Amino acid sequence: MRAPDPIAALRVVAAPALLDSLAWPDRAMALRLAADDLLVIGGNPASVGNAIAIVEEERGFVGWWLTPDEVRDRVLPHVEWPLPASRPALAQGLIAGVPAKLWLGDERALLLCAAAYAHELAERLP
Amino acid sequence: MSTEAGRFVIDGQRLPYEPGDTVAMALIRSAQHPRRGGTLCLAGDCGNCVAEVEGIAYVRTCQTPARDDLVVDRHPGEGPPPWHEPAATRPAVEVRRDEVDLAVIGSGRSGTAAAAEARRAGRQVTVLDAGSGEEVVAVYAGPTLIVRISDGMLHLRAKEVVVASGAAELHPVCPGSELEGLLTARAAQRLYAAGVDLGAAVAIGPPPEGVPCTALSGELVRFDGDGRVNAVVTREAGEERTTSCETVILNLGRSPRDVLSRMAGDLPVSVVGSAAEAFPLPPPPTAGIVCPCAGIGVDDLEAVWQRGFNELELVKRASLVGTGTCQGSVCLPHVRAWIAARSGRVPEPFTARPASRQITLGEAAADVELDAFRRTALHDEHLAAGARMDRFGGWWRPWTYGDHLAEYRAVREAVSLGDVSTLGKFVVAGTDAVEFLQRLYPTDVSTIRTGRSRYALLLNERGHVIDDGMICREADARFVLTFTTGGAGNAEMWMRDWIETWGLEVLLLDRTMSLAAINVTGPRAGELLGRLGLADPPRFLQHVRAEIAGVDCHVMRLSFTGEASFELHHPVDRSAELWRSLLAAGEDLGIRPHGLQALFALRLEKGHVIIGMDTELDTTPRRLGMDWAVNMEKPDFLGREALLRTASLPDHRRLVGLTMAGVAPTEGSPIRATGDVVGHVTSGFSSPSLGQAVMLGWLKRTPFPDQVEIDGRPATVTAPPFYDPEGLRARA
Repeated sequence: MRAPDPIAALRVVAAPALLDSLAWPDRAMALRLAADDLLVIGGNPASVGNAIAIVEEERGFVGWWLTPDEVRDRVLPHVEWPLPASRPALAQGLIAGVPAKLWLGDERALLLCAAAYAHELAERLP
Repeated sequence: MSTEAGRFVIDGQRLPYEPGDTVAMALIRSAQHPRRGGTLCLAGDCGNCVAEVEGIAYVRTCQTPARDDLVVDRHPGEGPPPWHEPAATRPAVEVRRDEVDLAVIGSGRSGTAAAAEARRAGRQVTVLDAGSGEEVVAVYAGPTLIVRISDGMLHLRAKEVVVASGAAELHPVCPGSELEGLLTARAAQRLYAAGVDLGAAVAIGPPPEGVPCTALSGELVRFDGDGRVNAVVTREAGEERTTSCETVILNLGRSPRDVLSRMAGDLPVSVVGSAAEAFPLPPPPTAGIVCPCAGIGVDDLEAVWQRGFNELELVKRASLVGTGTCQGSVCLPHVRAWIAARSGRVPEPFTARPASRQITLGEAAADVELDAFRRTALHDEHLAAGARMDRFGGWWRPWTYGDHLAEYRAVREAVSLGDVSTLGKFVVAGTDAVEFLQRLYPTDVSTIRTGRSRYALLLNERGHVIDDGMICREADARFVLTFTTGGAGNAEMWMRDWIETWGLEVLLLDRTMSLAAINVTGPRAGELLGRLGLADPPRFLQHVRAEIAGVDCHVMRLSFTGEASFELHHPVDRSAELWRSLLAAGEDLGIRPHGLQALFALRLEKGHVIIGMDTELDTTPRRLGMDWAVNMEKPDFLGREALLRTASLPDHRRLVGLTMAGVAPTEGSPIRATGDVVGHVTSGFSSPSLGQAVMLGWLKRTPFPDQVEIDGRPATVTAPPFYDPEGLRARA
């Protein structure tokens, strides 16, 4: 697998209701990693104001932008769990034995993993 | 199956086979036995025909079609088959994955019926049958079936599994059952149909239809012969009768062919047909080999029973009955009958394992991914510096850069860098953050002021130490916590579990892989950081946010090495840049990085424990001599009740410091006192600073001695720290 791209993002951990109410620019991609955990790539969401939250710049992830064909040929043979049917969707789990996240859009996908695991994933995927 | 006759190779000799022969059949046709004796079923149930086929041991030759030039070697009469060095390049076993509504194992009458019914209901069905080249070797959670197919392995995930594998024939258990010339009824029929001459054959039990033989009445007593059976002894009306013969055909009854269903546990696996039938157990055996695979006899069962192993699972573990090739296909009915005769109740069958189908390591490991090990952002920097990397706590970490004593001296005398990016790093915030940490830790978190930090133990409900680290207060309701490298993953689960259990308003963010960390340590560490912009370094146990060499850092002043230390936590994508800046700025100060080998020595001189290395699963603060880290005045925290209860009880374990002259003994070395082993060494280092070996070790017998013997040499129990006991250097 080719070298991944660095991902500059913002991590917002807050009460689920607060995260539900946040807005972000159209160009940004917001991935809900957990009910109280949001990863926003490519743009900052509206300020959380005085609400209690943990807001941190997140540089710990790298990613590969993939075409649907690349997902089918390179990634899916190494996924042992069912993929969500709807699009867009975020799936998380082991890919080729490496903890990873897979955002699936209609025309492209983003394979994310912690930078610390990037070498393992790059070596294991064709 | 071959449609033509030919020759294969057995033990180096070429042997003919006929069309349709398996290896076992061809051997019997030539008056040979594939395994030097034992009843043959030729149905894949027992392990009495296993041999090495094309270099793979324990292959059932009754299921192996004979073909030209096939190389077969019988296993030795005694001991395991020979080990062959694996080929340098062996092609990987391909794995195909599939999903199905229903998987039916067995294509006999009941299996076909189950499949047809499911198809009528609109379900997607796959039928697997070893006779058609799909041999199911294991049933795992999912349920997932591991299937050996012609070109590799199939991992079939099914919503439901039906086992329709039929029934196996009972084998005899009596003296002489290890002789050649013994066949089950179905094996005899198959051989006779294939034109194999069975010689003068007698039958115990109903004679198989169409096979010429003499039916014997009475109870089977034993087989006589020398290598091959030449007579069978039966008993009737109290009298024994000996009948000469060349072959004995045994039709003793049947048992469910349940190896696969015995692997299933609580999975959605149902059993139909003969495999589900409750066949009567055979009479309890009184003598002879019960388990031909493991060579376990009735006398072995008796021996473990007399030692108190009076349940089937215990008998299995104590005697190893049923742990061999066939996983109980042959012996299980007999063992159950034997136990029932003693206990008065018939035990449930024991679990079977995939060993029953001789899955090779290559097949078992096919398409399995190895554990992924993380690299810090400084991995390439370490390699460039000549580091020897090793795995610790799920990460690749530098063990040494080639001279661990030079690394040690850099820390003690100048300044050094350590990559501590692997430490667990968490942000905790929320209205209940203080309340949460008060309950989580045995220290009084409320007294940690903003900008200060404190070392803390992490205890479980039993008061046992499960991790340690730092608590840094950043604001009234915001903290940064650190944990050990190996403990970070568990720490997150531990915290999330308790937040939910206690119903507290607490937010938690794991920053372990988002932040790198460099420990700048040594008497000139502050000077180095001053050169890179840290004008006002934090004092001991303070922490500040600061820019160092242009990189935003969270600077924590603490010490694990015993020298002044500053941990610089910073974004992973700036780590290499910061590392290089530090090395460049410290060149004239004698800077060099240190690896884990030096770090372990440095901390040992200070008497700092490493959780998991120096501690045990039930280590309490008292046993570590770390009661100072526990504030029992707090009304509640995890482990408090247990510590209260055990505080007044006598304790016979203590982690102590030890010193001795000469070279440090190996970790794990026994500690002796007055000739008895009273403990063991957990860590040791020959300290150049102190001119002696320093150690941590467990004493597990009271009264705790002051003088002990380790490695045949005298050693003294010495309260740590061994180095700078006042802690002046760390605070400098």
